[in-house]
Amino acid sequence: MPLRGSPSSVRPAETGRTDETQAGQRTRRTDPGVPTPRRISGQRAERLAPYVLLAPAIAIVVAFRLVPLLMGVNFSFTGDGERDGTAVGLDNYAELFRDPLFRTALENVGLLVLLLPVAVAIPGLLATFIYLRVPGHPIYRSVYFFPAVLSPVLVGAIFNLLLAFDGPFNAALGNTGIDPVDWLGDPDIAMFTVVGVHVWATFGMALVVFLAGFSTLDATLLDAARVDGASLPQVIWHVIVPGLSRTIQFVFVTTMIGMLTSMFGLLYVMTSGGPEGSTYLPEYYIWVQQGEMNRPALASAASTVLFLLMLVVGLAQIALLRRAGREH
Amino acid sequence: MKRRALWAAVLVAAMTLSGCGSAGSGSSSDSADDKLVVWDWKSGEESAASYIKQAKADFAEKHPDVKVEFVAQPFDQYYTLLGTAIQSGKGPDVMLFNGGGEIRDRTDALLPLDDYVAKDRKRLAGWEAFTAQGKVYAAPVTLQGHPVYYNKALYKDAGLDPEQPATTWREFLDDCKAIAEKTKASCLSLGNKEGIGIQFFLSGLGPGVLTPQEYDDWIAGNRDWNSPHVRQIFELWKEAEDAGLNNDGANSTALFNDAFARFQSGEAAHIVGLMSDVGHWKDFSEFLDPDDIGVMRAPLVNSEADPALPYDGGIGYGVAEWTKKPKLAADLVRSLTSKDALKAFYADAGAVASDSTLDVSGGGQALTTIVSEIKTGKPALHVALSSKTLDLMGRLSQQILSGSTSVDDALQKLADSDRKG
Repeated sequence: MPLRGSPSSVRPAETGRTDETQAGQRTRRTDPGVPTPRRISGQRAERLAPYVLLAPAIAIVVAFRLVPLLMGVNFSFTGDGERDGTAVGLDNYAELFRDPLFRTALENVGLLVLLLPVAVAIPGLLATFIYLRVPGHPIYRSVYFFPAVLSPVLVGAIFNLLLAFDGPFNAALGNTGIDPVDWLGDPDIAMFTVVGVHVWATFGMALVVFLAGFSTLDATLLDAARVDGASLPQVIWHVIVPGLSRTIQFVFVTTMIGMLTSMFGLLYVMTSGGPEGSTYLPEYYIWVQQGEMNRPALASAASTVLFLLMLVVGLAQIALLRRAGREH
Repeated sequence: MKRRALWAAVLVAAMTLSGCGSAGSGSSSDSADDKLVVWDWKSGEESAASYIKQAKADFAEKHPDVKVEFVAQPFDQYYTLLGTAIQSGKGPDVMLFNGGGEIRDRTDALLPLDDYVAKDRKRLAGWEAFTAQGKVYAAPVTLQGHPVYYNKALYKDAGLDPEQPATTWREFLDDCKAIAEKTKASCLSLGNKEGIGIQFFLSGLGPGVLTPQEYDDWIAGNRDWNSPHVRQIFELWKEAEDAGLNNDGANSTALFNDAFARFQSGEAAHIVGLMSDVGHWKDFSEFLDPDDIGVMRAPLVNSEADPALPYDGGIGYGVAEWTKKPKLAADLVRSLTSKDALKAFYADAGAVASDSTLDVSGGGQALTTIVSEIKTGKPALHVALSSKTLDLMGRLSQQILSGSTSVDDALQKLADSDRKG
């Protein structure tokens, strides 16, 4: 209900009525259809206001995100060393894909994709057990999350000691009659070891996401499944997995991004890319080329490739979430 | 969508064709006229405090109005940070470098110092490691070498004469056998996790394999990777592993500091160590009796070889090409290599300083042996290689140890890399 005496903020609809009284009233008041200088400047200010308000954010994004990104891409088309500053076209990219070390790094990305279901299943299963209230579940919740607050460097240093050839882990294996394993020195094992440690260190965060997902799960479905006599695997497969499909998809994508971009600290401390270059990932390769080999242009090319890789993962994430949203 | 894709394609094509800009150009320093900035990884260490203090005092005497600021960077990040500074062309006036590949890869960013350090040429040793294309780019502070250290106490336990270490590879294998039978120690302490173990092996034991002519040719850049004697060094690397001379898990053992720790805790009888401030005689004497630390020459594998102490300039300070005060910066480098400063560095850190006129008689038998061999010593074999070839050699050496590649394949790849490098 409009307040008495307050000017209406709603412009009368142009209904095409030719009522004399209305026409007379219009002529007596300022015609809203006729632009006055003040109205024009007000409209312009109103039009520009969003841009002005957005300008600082856009400036920051352009200056600190887009410009460095484009400079990096630009550097990737220049040379290193004697050819510094000269345009070399796609030479760096050709060299990258000829380099067996970079190819190993890309192959390891493929390996990570293959290991991804395991990295997602572990927090998923543990979260399921916590949700289903295994005895002592509040303790497990905090214990599982605890490694997530540790620095990767610290985690790497701890596992370096534990997994050393003459370390306690192999000593324990020796007590059971198993030969010692060179966890970090065998090229066929080292990558799995590092990924295992990464999963150990980071699954707490995914677990929290899963628990948040569980809070949206309809408990009556579980009760119904139990009443119908479903076993635990059947409950997980037919009730929990479909109910948490969006959460699972989200954890899949964030875990993949985490594996591609957050394993540097562990790799640096645990294997230094070795043995035999078997634990190289693109990020580590970039660091070595830039820092150790003094080849910033080649490192820029590798960065661009990694960026495109991440873009694909990001787009896949959006596609997955959209599809999940539609299904929902 | 199509339009967006078209724009992206146009942008990438334009960049590919133009490739303008550079990842490593620039020409200005941002420090004030009355101030010099130094980057290193030493000045923050306690053992280098008196050295830096002496150097500053020496410089302040000559230039009382100029302030000097030392910025100690973490060593494992040093060349990454330096790389960023070099790319931006803004950074320190004076920089610390390791000799060899690290400085030779970055001479574009450095000022030739020949004219400034002419007076120090005779007093200091180790210039070769800081020289590229006939020009000197840094003045040596320490000498870095690769003596073969051995544990005399373990020799005694194994029934060997600690004053008569092996002079030939055959004798060395016999000694190792005795050590394995009588003690729990491994013969060699090897850390090859980062691929550095092979560098020390090549430089420490290579002098017992190559003839003097082959050695000199290698250092001069005429490297024949397929020659029988070069092949023999890599075959020895394999043989040492197969014969059980190395500690288990060498490919997952870090040289710094795990392999050194193994030696100084008496778990290994020999190690190819260093001369300069880490992994050296003084470090080892923290846990071993100084009298039990011996230094031996590389065992002779070929009778034509004439082993000499492998050493180069260890670390040295250079001047940035972009500095606005080249003469002042060069004077600071001279202060950082002044006799009193180097004397303090030797006294506190145990580093074998580049000044050959220093008295080191108080350093024990191991140091005396090392210093006595400096005059006849030769540059280390691995220091002559580029960073890229060293990196490749590290990975290939791991493959040779694990048996996933042959010595022949490895040598072929190294030859290719060395030719390109």
